[in-house]
Amino acid sequence: MLLCAAGPACAEWFYDVRAGGMYDDNLTRAQQAADVRGDAAATLAAAAGWFVAPTGADGVTLSLDANSEAYGRFHGLNLISIGAGAGYRHKFGLGSAAPWVSVTVKAAHDDYRGDIRDSDRFEAGVEVGRRLSTDFDASFGVAGDRRRPRNDSPVVPGISGKIFDLRGQSVFARAAYDVSDRLQVGGRLSVRRGDIESTTRQNIDIFLASDAIAADPTFGSDFYAYRLRGTTKTVNLNASWALSDRSSINFGYALASTAAYDDLNYLSRVGSILLAFHF
Amino acid sequence: MRILFGLALFALTAQTALAQNEIVATVLDDNGKPVADAVVVAVPADGGIRLPTRRDAVVDQVDKEFTPKVNAILVGTPVIFPNHDNVRHHVYSFSPAKRFELPLYAGVPAQPVVFDTPGVVILGCNIHDWMVGYVYVSESPYFAKTRADGKAVIADVPGKTYIVRVWHPQLEGSEAMTKRTVDLSAKRRVDVEWALKLKPELRMRRSPVGDHSGHY
Repeated sequence: MLLCAAGPACAEWFYDVRAGGMYDDNLTRAQQAADVRGDAAATLAAAAGWFVAPTGADGVTLSLDANSEAYGRFHGLNLISIGAGAGYRHKFGLGSAAPWVSVTVKAAHDDYRGDIRDSDRFEAGVEVGRRLSTDFDASFGVAGDRRRPRNDSPVVPGISGKIFDLRGQSVFARAAYDVSDRLQVGGRLSVRRGDIESTTRQNIDIFLASDAIAADPTFGSDFYAYRLRGTTKTVNLNASWALSDRSSINFGYALASTAAYDDLNYLSRVGSILLAFHF
Repeated sequence: MRILFGLALFALTAQTALAQNEIVATVLDDNGKPVADAVVVAVPADGGIRLPTRRDAVVDQVDKEFTPKVNAILVGTPVIFPNHDNVRHHVYSFSPAKRFELPLYAGVPAQPVVFDTPGVVILGCNIHDWMVGYVYVSESPYFAKTRADGKAVIADVPGKTYIVRVWHPQLEGSEAMTKRTVDLSAKRRVDVEWALKLKPELRMRRSPVGDHSGHY
């Protein structure tokens, strides 16, 4: 308290841990049933952060993040990710119902067991929200993402092998409702336009529509990854049960529908369960 | 000298007799479970209130929560809001009974806040939105807050008739609906019991929310 009183900056440290599992029924992002591969993964994420409020209406957050995923069958997707993030939030007024705007930027390096996916990721977004009642809040925003691969493995002369050289822009809206003091349900809708990656066996239609191709041994020796332009619409549903003021158990479901060009449309579904701790 | 001594003895005896009356309140919810942090207030039916000397009250901030969460004070009481966290807080209230703001601060504010209107004052922190506290400002000096067992004792009450009522942050309906008449003119102790219907707690969730934000 004395340190806090002495200086204008009075930061609080926080630590987050999220452990759980998820199942993705279309990891390949493939259209044809024969190419679709699903798998379950154990996930563990941790973050250490620093928050400071320079005024009563502003907050700045800096964090270091680590994330890992370990898959049951497709070990090439096993991931360790290290990154950092920064956020600024401003409230337009006093009270929990005051509207707010936040700006976030994140950067991370993803190290996969399968080298083809190793990449650096950047994300930035702006979000505007408001608590509309004591138990309901909503927000919407825009975001941009950029992924830069570390490796280039072309398999077709003259065509890039950087299939994970991706960029996209999103708009999203989300809402959360407190059913009780312990249960919160929420949803998020997003539309993203930009580069996508789809892995299939050799497919002449996708080949003609793609602008980067590489072998993707993660799913088998006859699989190829293609980069295309596409639009992904995602619906997320979450239910969070507070175990205490510092912990919760969370159930999530995401349904993503991607349209890449006239003939390529695919669905993917992700179910997840997470234990979240905040200290 | 004997007369003076006699008068002093009479006054002491009378004061002792007055101070022995008490109202013992029990507050339960509609499932029969004890309700803590309910404020029980007794107002003399004849309106005759003699306000005692006011003493400062304290609403602390510890681990990013108001402590105590519910504080009952007499009208006119100055309240100090010390911040014992290692982060700054920005305490405010929009309540009609007391609108105030203590801009972002650490330590102890230089001036207390005087609560000069009876009513319920809801406290918040503009930095930590989940922080909610309540100051119940009583117009009567005869009040008490229930313990974890749902019991509260209003002691040292003069022997009169009182209108007794109860308030709780989660009370469904109005405080006025809880009024009871209690006659202490012939008894030294009266027991009063309420079974309150409570609504869910209205505060922003503090616990973390984890989600898998999507993929493409």
